[in-house]
Amino acid sequence: MGHSLKRKEDARFIQGKGHYVDDVKLPGMLYMDIVRSPYAYAKIKEIDISEAMKVPGVVAVVSGRDLEKYNLHWMPTLMSDTQMVLPTDTVMYQSQEVCAVIATTKYAARDGREAVRVSYEPMKPVIDPFKAMDPAAPVLRTDKPGKKDNHIWHWAAGDKEKTEEVFSKADIVVKEQMHIPRIHVASIETCGCVADYDKVNNHLTMYMTTQAPHAIRTVIALVAGHVGLTEEKVRVIAPDIGGGFGGKVPVYPGYVIAIAVSFLVGKPVKWVEDRSENLQADSFARDYHITAEMAGTKDGKILGTRFKILADHGYTDASANPSKFPTGMFSIATGSYDYDTTYMECDAIYTNKPPGGVAYRCSFRVTEAVHAIERITDRFALEVGKDPADLRMQNFIKKEQFPWKSPTGWIYDSGDYHAGLEKAMEALNYNDLRREQAEKRAKGELMGIGISTFTEIVGAGPSKDFDILGIKMFDSAEIRVHPTGKAIARFGTKSQGQGHETTYAQIIAEELGLPAENIAIEEGDTDTAPYGLGTYASRSTPTAGAAAAMAARKLRDKARKIAAYLLEVSEDDLEWEPGKFFVKGAPEKAKTIQEIVFAAYTNHPQGMEAGFEATHYYDPPNLTFPSGAYICVVDLDKETCEIKVRRFVAIDDCGNIINPMIVQGQVHGGLTQGIAPAMYEELIYDEQGNILNGTFMDYLVPTAVESPKWETGHTVTPSPHHPIGAKGVGESPTVGAPPAIANAIVDALAPYGITHLDIPITPYKIFKALKEKGVF
Amino acid sequence: MHPLADVWANITNPDKIVVCVPGASLTEMVDNDNFKGEVELKFGPVKAKYGGNIAFLERNAETYSMKMKGSGTDVKGKGGADMLLNGVLTEKDGGTEVSVTMDVTVQGMLAQFGSRLVTDATNHVFDQFIKNFKAQLEGKEVDNSLSAGAMVGSMIKGIFGSK
Repeated sequence: MGHSLKRKEDARFIQGKGHYVDDVKLPGMLYMDIVRSPYAYAKIKEIDISEAMKVPGVVAVVSGRDLEKYNLHWMPTLMSDTQMVLPTDTVMYQSQEVCAVIATTKYAARDGREAVRVSYEPMKPVIDPFKAMDPAAPVLRTDKPGKKDNHIWHWAAGDKEKTEEVFSKADIVVKEQMHIPRIHVASIETCGCVADYDKVNNHLTMYMTTQAPHAIRTVIALVAGHVGLTEEKVRVIAPDIGGGFGGKVPVYPGYVIAIAVSFLVGKPVKWVEDRSENLQADSFARDYHITAEMAGTKDGKILGTRFKILADHGYTDASANPSKFPTGMFSIATGSYDYDTTYMECDAIYTNKPPGGVAYRCSFRVTEAVHAIERITDRFALEVGKDPADLRMQNFIKKEQFPWKSPTGWIYDSGDYHAGLEKAMEALNYNDLRREQAEKRAKGELMGIGISTFTEIVGAGPSKDFDILGIKMFDSAEIRVHPTGKAIARFGTKSQGQGHETTYAQIIAEELGLPAENIAIEEGDTDTAPYGLGTYASRSTPTAGAAAAMAARKLRDKARKIAAYLLEVSEDDLEWEPGKFFVKGAPEKAKTIQEIVFAAYTNHPQGMEAGFEATHYYDPPNLTFPSGAYICVVDLDKETCEIKVRRFVAIDDCGNIINPMIVQGQVHGGLTQGIAPAMYEELIYDEQGNILNGTFMDYLVPTAVESPKWETGHTVTPSPHHPIGAKGVGESPTVGAPPAIANAIVDALAPYGITHLDIPITPYKIFKALKEKGVF
Repeated sequence: MHPLADVWANITNPDKIVVCVPGASLTEMVDNDNFKGEVELKFGPVKAKYGGNIAFLERNAETYSMKMKGSGTDVKGKGGADMLLNGVLTEKDGGTEVSVTMDVTVQGMLAQFGSRLVTDATNHVFDQFIKNFKAQLEGKEVDNSLSAGAMVGSMIKGIFGSK
């Protein structure tokens, strides 16, 4: 542990030898393509398949009416809402699945799709979530008996009365309305599957792009149990995955249709989305409209916060949060600051937009929360006339206050926020930058410095609070060490590029003293791996990583017994150093772990179970709370409003680090996905519900060209409750970067009276804001 | 200079006005106010053919104001388009001042793939409509065909040349 071991999985990835869903080719396999709705809201008058059936190779066209015969036309979402698999009457959003074309080749399926004629009767869609709340707005979910509005649920946390009191008495109250835009994970690999139903054995093998194979198996069994697909008849295999970021957690209609078709025709069916389908129809992330307020004293002490959210969920609530947390971990929005009063509430709304609300590389709505608190903290600093760094230092929870109970009830495990910010400020000579900024301002030049000092909440989670569809959010590891001292370990998680094959091996190597290269890691096959809830929300290291350490410790205990037997001493006389047990005071009397393992199969003590295997299901006692201090420096061109990120320093604290190189890689990727919504990405819909940037021509994913040079570093505050003191890290940069960038840009514009700009902040948005202030 | 009566006659005559819309043709007369027709639009590489209804919502000879609505769906079921044309004529110095507005709403594939182009292309359609309408009043032959190349060409000119 702590070494930058090169990633074991990269040998196959960099040689193009990864094995993805689209690489699965089975004899007799059929291909599926999907006809999608051009309208955001319309009645389906007729689906004419006659021309499509004439296309050579087309085998069938499946509609909602066909699935209705088997009661497979609706499915539950992970949030216990309902969603159409295929519509029977009405389409609810643009790009919704309308019917599926099955053919003998991919191209025939696409030709068939083009030949299907669907007549629609368009209706006026509800796109704006604020208008959807209007009592006069049409009720969209008429499929729900008695539904009289477009409201989904209300959620609140904190103390309303106390907050009102603090706000009414405070010297200073600041308030901003912010939109955290609807964005998309846009992973390199789109979603897809091969559903392979074997009629003879009544068995389904599902190769699928999923971050949570076991949960999917259970869901399939719950949905299709009535047609005979009970859980032991279902095997879900998630092969290599080309990026998930939360987008491969939900169950999309395409998967279910492929299963239904394979079940009906008895042949394997492959479905792989194209790029536009992925961007337009699969789960979006964010889309929170937040009114953020902060109350405090004139000298900069934060006294309270208040957040009111309108959450646009689209057609159905298909987000992927733990059951008890409809807004995910938004209640971390009180931030890294020491105060005791907050109130936050959220109303979730249906609109005619695609469903989703997945945690895009963030632990369940933490990105929204961190943006709100970090932006409003800067706004407060501006109001009281304090440097945002000084104001943060003044308000940080102190190192000695941990474990610290937040106003919404979270127990922050550990942190050293002052050290993190100091390190980031030193890295770029903060005070010099402020001097430079003052000089530039005097000359009328635009330069800004933005800070974000965030607290993340990852590793869901303790079983008393965390479940998805009732299944507790533990995770698991099973280690089998073979007689020759080489091992295979299997997990309930699923890497999508995080490097589990390397980091898990490092954890086991650390605990058991076997070389990491002798430990094979396997995930993603429900027939072989122990049950687990999968990989998302930076939970793999906090849960499955801990399970690996615990299972390895069980084996070490067994190894001690065997060593004592082999060395003919008492267990208490043995001492461990990674790789061997030796007799206290006689280090030459030792047994290596390899010798001990061999004995477990060849010469094990009487009364002991043979073999060398252990399994552990780890139920974390608490979440882990990584943190970070990010500082961004921008220069704005006053003529063109072009934004140049000059410096970006990211100091992360993710506790003990397993592999520094992998952490740095995670941080680089996450920061790039953080600059994305800050400056480029937003899914834009017009009043008709048309997506206006449904391809990568218009939806701007940052590339190497747009990415600044990331300067990374870390502080180490171990998690006190995690077996190896580690916290999650994958999502910290995505969560922490957007407010640092937004704060920097707003800081540059502050002399003109600009106090807030919604992300993505584009040159055009800056131009408009400056124009409003009379600059142009 | 065209007298008000002549302009009014043209703008309220379906056979005359529809052919001024680039890419449009009348296919059937349902009754005095309602017609069936087709419009073909090309936005760069994206081509869509809409079939639908055209209706005169208003033809008021006293105020010289008219409203025409066309709504169509893509013949392949990939979307739809609505167009609302408002025209008001006033006499001015023996000639006619024509005030026309055209609202075009597109839904579906064209709106998605053509989002960067639709506004410019719609403006172009409108300019061509005005040009055709003038030519028609002058007794010239109206060419309402629309080639993709020409549209993209003139849009590029519009973006890089004249603005």
